This record gives sequence, structure tokens and C-alpha cells, in this order.
Amino acid sequence: MSENNPLRDVFDAIADPTRRRLIRLLAEAEEIPLHELTAQFQMGRTAVSKHLTILKEAGLVLDRKVGRETRFRLNAAPLREIQDWLAFYTKFWSTNMLRLNQFLEEEEE
Amino acid sequence: MSLTLSLDFQYKTTMEKLWSALTDANKLTKWMVNVHTGQAMENDFKPVIGHHFQFRTQPTEYWDGIVDGEVLIVEEPHRLSYTWCSGGEKHTVTWTLQDLGNGKINLHLEQTGISNAQALGGAKYGWSNWCGELEKVLEQ
Repeated sequence: MSENNPLRDVFDAIADPTRRRLIRLLAEAEEIPLHELTAQFQMGRTAVSKHLTILKEAGLVLDRKVGRETRFRLNAAPLREIQDWLAFYTKFWSTNMLRLNQFLEEEEE
Repeated sequence: MSLTLSLDFQYKTTMEKLWSALTDANKLTKWMVNVHTGQAMENDFKPVIGHHFQFRTQPTEYWDGIVDGEVLIVEEPHRLSYTWCSGGEKHTVTWTLQDLGNGKINLHLEQTGISNAQALGGAKYGWSNWCGELEKVLEQ
């Protein structure tokens, strides 16, 4: 689990395509105000804001108020949990495939 | 919705030998190991559709060391598929063997179907992004 003990599972947070696009947009800039993010979607400010809240709950997004606008930025660290999860299966099979190769070579001798 | 771990490996061998290594219980123990301990996983695998099998290894604090499965497809020597259930996840593993000629066989692995509903969407996203990278790393 992530260090900040977030309210929401990171897998849940990235399960939605809008939220994945938000992550991608935020990955390309240091900080983006809500109105600029909203302009990228065929949905209203409230809907985008709700998605950002979910990302925030998973620790993937940080926000701050600047005057009257809210600016968002990405915190990619919680994605590490997903990478670890995936890496287990890849490691399992790649280790075993090396052993299969050894086994096939031994049989050949 | 389905997600897939997709990996390819090439071996200098024959279709028959590779098929046997994938389906013979004694041979499986020679290479299907617990990646954490390197210990062999005992099994009662049989290439028979509907056969229920188990792979077992030493339990740890985090894992009971048991994989339960059922054989789904046996198309000797080209295709083999079985379920792979462990730690609350239920996956399907499918092997496809292809003779590339010159004594080389391509072994394709697909692992699909994450049972954890939350992990499902996330994993799909993750696979598509990271698997490509990981495959490149493996090819080096």
C-alpha cells in the first residue's frame, strides 16, 4: 500500500478512461488549472472535477488554490504499486522460461 | 473486459520436446519453480481436458503456496490452456507453440482474466503500457 494510506485503491482510480487521460495530460505539464483540463473533455467542469477528486483520493493528483482557480499536478508514485503487481507475473514466467530452456538443453545432452 | 500478459520465448528444440516439457508433471517440476525461493513446485498436472491440478510450494507469510487449475484446451502439440488460480486471482494461461523452422520453436504465453474487479481496469492499463517495455527489456 502507498505511504500516505490513501482513501482509494490506485487500481480503482485508473480503471476509468477519463481518469487515465487526465493522468496523461497532467504528466505532460507541471501544473494545469481546472478550466484548462475541462477544455480537453466533452463533459462539464463538475464531471471532470469529480474524476480529479477520485485521483486525489488515490494520491495520484495534488491540488492547490491560486487566486480563484485550482491547479492540479500529478503525483505518479502510487502507480508503483501497479508496476510491482505486474512485475510479479512477468518475473514469474521469465524466470521459469529460463529454467525451461536449461531443462530442454539438459535433455538434449 | 479482459487483460492479457503476453510474452514470447524462443527455444532450440522440437515441438514434441517442448510440448512434453509443458505437459509432463515430472518435467514441469524441473522448471516451474517458486520464483522467490527457487524451489520446485510439486504438481499433478495432466494434459487432459477437465483435469483439476495443483501446484504446491512452501507457504510464506504472504502466499499459501498453492495454485489451483483446470485444464481447458489440449491441442497437441500446438495449444494448451488452463486456469491458474492463486491468492484470490483467477487467471487463464494459454500456451501456443509455433515451429519457426531451423530447429527453433516460438513459445507464446498469454495470461488473461484478472478476477479482482478493482485490479481489472487498472491492470489492463498497466499491461498495455508496461508489457511493451518489459518485453523490450527481456529481448536485450
